[in-house]
Amino acid sequence: MSAHTVSMRDALYEAPGPKTRRRTRIITGISLVLVAIGVGLIVRQFYVTGQLDAKCWSFFLRQGTWRYLFNGFLGTMRVAATAGVISLVLGVVFMLGRTSGIKPLEVISRVIIDFFRGVPSLLLIYFFYLALPQYGLRISAFWMITLPVALAASGVLAEVFRAGVNAVPKGQTEAALSIGLTPGKTMFKIILPQALRIVVPSLISQLVVVVKDTTVAYVVSYPDLMQNARVLITNNDALVQVYFVVAILYILVNYGINQLSIYMARRSGNPIISRTTENPT
Amino acid sequence: MSAEIPVIELRNVDKHYGPLHVLQHINLSVGKGEVLVLIGPSGSGKSTLCRTINRLETIDSGEILIEGQPLPQEGKELAQMRAEIGMVFQSFNLFAHKTILDNVTLGPREVLKMPKDAAEKEAMELLTRVGVDAQAHKVPAQLSGGQQQRVAIARSLAMHPKAMLFDEPTSALDPEMINEVLDVMVELAREGMTMVVVTHEMNFARRVSNRVVFMADGQIVEEGTPSEFFDNPQTARAKEFLDSIRGH
Repeated sequence: MSAHTVSMRDALYEAPGPKTRRRTRIITGISLVLVAIGVGLIVRQFYVTGQLDAKCWSFFLRQGTWRYLFNGFLGTMRVAATAGVISLVLGVVFMLGRTSGIKPLEVISRVIIDFFRGVPSLLLIYFFYLALPQYGLRISAFWMITLPVALAASGVLAEVFRAGVNAVPKGQTEAALSIGLTPGKTMFKIILPQALRIVVPSLISQLVVVVKDTTVAYVVSYPDLMQNARVLITNNDALVQVYFVVAILYILVNYGINQLSIYMARRSGNPIISRTTENPT
Repeated sequence: MSAEIPVIELRNVDKHYGPLHVLQHINLSVGKGEVLVLIGPSGSGKSTLCRTINRLETIDSGEILIEGQPLPQEGKELAQMRAEIGMVFQSFNLFAHKTILDNVTLGPREVLKMPKDAAEKEAMELLTRVGVDAQAHKVPAQLSGGQQQRVAIARSLAMHPKAMLFDEPTSALDPEMINEVLDVMVELAREGMTMVVVTHEMNFARRVSNRVVFMADGQIVEEGTPSEFFDNPQTARAKEFLDSIRGH
């Protein structure tokens, strides 16, 4: 089936002719040269200022450095995974509230969703970190970073789920009702499973946002990758080097998540969306 | 009318879409084992009428009775009543994420609380009956339109309905697949199923139905036996409609 997958380029643009192909080659060549010059300048600047000297990198040869970074990495993963799961559950709950057809519940859900979508996660973190303790509510650093990140994501996820539910053809609901399923069962057995498949790619990109949101953990001194990186920087006086390595780690994680989303979209999307929509009138 | 209670009865049913009066004072009853065909130009309200019978469309006023009982408005009672009336849609509406077999067993298992084995055994019998048993473990998208529609009929039959509604069941099909679906419907009619069929298939209406109801502009304009209606239409509106579809 993947042989028929149409790439985004094919879907959006017509096949280029000879003139376009030549122009594309010229522009590609110029771009490559410009990028090469840019990278060259950066490397030269680092070299001149001594950032590439062996002594600035040697602490990466120590096992302790990596163990410390790895611990931070684990911290990041713990927060991201926990926040991810919580936000998925809350996202579904808020979406169900918003589409429940019960007016007060809809209004409340809508306010909650818009609130968490609109408020920056850093503000939520400050709320949990600074405001709550004043009222005697003490929670660990882990939850001070995890809960705000999860809440901020849950608002967005609720809307993602709602888009998915709306994308399931109305006929599916009608068919389910017509064989005697209750509206609740129709949602859980027929609509939600299909909606989830539709939104898997958006869910995964939201997971990337969650991973990136965890980087503000230093605010609450939770030892995530970013926080541990800051400690390493102070200890070794090596800002560029540490952030360089940390950036690569984040890119690898998020690249992995993206690959996962592509894999899952292929696996779940194809057989469902290929032929059922042949529907004239 | 005989003393027997009609399976489906509509009394003075009215419905508006904004300013549009889509159903106007509809009175209709369908007896047990009767095959009633609704025909009429598009926009005449025939699909809407069909869909009011299991409350996929609500009505503004009037009454709908199923075996003499008023159609429930909501909740378990409504779901229960819908389970007893099968519905086949123009666009099949098979559950896209479930296999053919699961499409047929879902209702019996979830609503009738049948055990898995019994439900699957009966589903396979029904699929064999409509000729798609070989596809039982595929998903709907892998089937042709005609096959999907036959599965949809099997899915309805699995609930042992008192009556079945067909809302233009062949209108979305390629021409070569229309007959395989009509054949299944003809057989159902022969077995005595109570059916309300919205269709443009005049041959089916003539051969199979007991009564033809002609609708235009939200009203029932004329009704009669197929031979009365097709050979000797009484109203100008019906004549005009029949002429227009016989044009060539």
